[in-house]
Amino acid sequence: MKRNLLTGCEASAEGAIHAGCKFYAGYPITPQNRYPEYMSKRMPEVGGIFIQAESEISAINMVFGAAVCGFRALTSSSSPGISLKQEGISYLAGCELPAVIVNMNRGGPGLGDVTPSQSDYFQATRGGGHGDYRTIVYAPWNVQELYDFTYMAFDIADKYRNPVLILADGIIAQILEPVKFRKPKKKLPVKKWALTGCKGRKPNSIKSLFLTPGILEKHNWKLYKKYKKIEEKEVKYEMYFCNDIESLIVSFGTCARICYETVKIAREEGIKIGLFRPITLWPFPYKQLENLIKKIKKIYVVEMNLGQMIDDVKIANRKNLPIYFYGRPGGGVPTPEEIYNFIKKNGSNI
Amino acid sequence: MPSLKELVKRESRFVSGHRLCGGCGAGIVMRLVLLAIDKPVIASCATGCVEVATTIFPYSAWKIPWVHSAFENSASTISGVEAAYRVFKREGKIDKEIVFVAFGGDGGTHDIGLQALSGAAERNHNVLYVCYNNQAYMNTGIQRSGATPKYAHTTTSPVGKVIPGKIQWQKNLVEIMVAHGIPYAATSIPGRWNDLVSKVEKAVKIEGFKYIEVLSPCRLGWPHEPELTLEISRLAVETCIWPLYEVVEGKYRLTYKPKEKKPVIEWFKLQGRFRHLLLPENAHLLEEIQKEVDRRWEELLKKCES
Repeated sequence: MKRNLLTGCEASAEGAIHAGCKFYAGYPITPQNRYPEYMSKRMPEVGGIFIQAESEISAINMVFGAAVCGFRALTSSSSPGISLKQEGISYLAGCELPAVIVNMNRGGPGLGDVTPSQSDYFQATRGGGHGDYRTIVYAPWNVQELYDFTYMAFDIADKYRNPVLILADGIIAQILEPVKFRKPKKKLPVKKWALTGCKGRKPNSIKSLFLTPGILEKHNWKLYKKYKKIEEKEVKYEMYFCNDIESLIVSFGTCARICYETVKIAREEGIKIGLFRPITLWPFPYKQLENLIKKIKKIYVVEMNLGQMIDDVKIANRKNLPIYFYGRPGGGVPTPEEIYNFIKKNGSNI
Repeated sequence: MPSLKELVKRESRFVSGHRLCGGCGAGIVMRLVLLAIDKPVIASCATGCVEVATTIFPYSAWKIPWVHSAFENSASTISGVEAAYRVFKREGKIDKEIVFVAFGGDGGTHDIGLQALSGAAERNHNVLYVCYNNQAYMNTGIQRSGATPKYAHTTTSPVGKVIPGKIQWQKNLVEIMVAHGIPYAATSIPGRWNDLVSKVEKAVKIEGFKYIEVLSPCRLGWPHEPELTLEISRLAVETCIWPLYEVVEGKYRLTYKPKEKKPVIEWFKLQGRFRHLLLPENAHLLEEIQKEVDRRWEELLKKCES
């Protein structure tokens, strides 16, 4: 099969286009500038709409507008810009509108820097904006997955009528890798709830404002049931070298890819270690990790932040095993050897 | 206005060592604005080329107190600083006369920062806002902005078979600011130092919100030969694409009138982003812009006469 050499931004954009996305609104921010640039060229070619908004807030609300009309709509940004989008994402979740948001995570807080980071884990997995809500979060570890997950995200978003987040980072956004394309989707789901003009049918109503006492609570319990269903059905994860293990690295995204190399080095040295990689950060694979933890004695968590996913690992760690954390906050990317040395030394117990 | 001799004797408060490109218009603007003010200055700056290139930690090109907060907030941040200053003054904790200046590029001023700018102007903070307008998001790789001129090529308004560059007209933010009823608004360029210096000097003496928009050539984004920065800014004035004027308490005044109005093509032909407009098949686009520039120029002349 033909492979295409693309940057992460371009691959994700193609994934969206192949999934039938016809609406993209974006705004410049490093390291995802290639995304709007690429879309400004590609969207007109496929008969879609490209809009460069005047701010990230505007872009996410354009996505809201397109989603409410039944479009497959997309926006991309990087950490500070994703912060600005949070209000819009909360409204999408409250109104149960499907949309895809891509975050090419860079170092924070504040202006931070423009290098890869995983510091938006909490923001991505705990809702991010105001109110009781969740977004489904996919964490790709290479450009192919970034393409695949973007392609898939639109189906999942439509299925649950919920915003879906792709949490990548500055490396995956800009690295060039070969990508295999999937078949472009021709038939898209019919959205009976969409606001398309009510001539000949009952008017649809989409809102997140429920002032009558008890109605909002009812609405939120409905959302809760949906989230429970997603937790049951949509968990994705991968395990590597986990057949005969005494210890385990838990890591996601770019960091997991580096840890994969670390595990290979450690295995050659006779260390019985494996790698557990959550692919959906929400819903987090608690059960699967818990099952694996039953077999081992030690857990290592490696993240490019100050320790965020470690909170979820702690929830899965009912056996109360020692957890050792290795973090690189602020845009630094660890090497496989660096993590290997940490494992050898064990680090400090948390 | 101080003479050039006097100006060069003043201590420069925007100094070398920054990482702006050779031939960048914005660096010249920053230096001239600070030279024109003979009082202590506190400045805020929006995210953009100037902010990134002049404050890479642990270095700074600014010999003044300087603050940055997010992309959209230069006007809000300086509003807070100026309001705090007024409180300190009222309480007798400070007696110095301080000039407050906010800097922003066109993205941070025309687009994402417009709300903050409008709010600061409406509250009439005693602030001078200087927009260095290089007509696109140059810091992130030349994406179109609300200030990008019609038919300019940018990375998000690429010239191709479907569109001949950006298809919308640029905002006229100076007029939007005049409509706020602020006491002073003006345009300027780095290529006429005396124009910029005298306007800044005049503005900071006025109480309330002041807005000066300076056309700032970008050798990478427009792109042009780096040694042409000043000349190209002057040519924008000579072609009446960027007229030099000021509006004091609603009263318009042309501060420079070209002896002979040059055709817009003279400005376009020095810049890569307008290269396609020179092709014979695009003559009608060039004509369209010439007509609009003429119309706006006549409109401005009328405002200045009345």
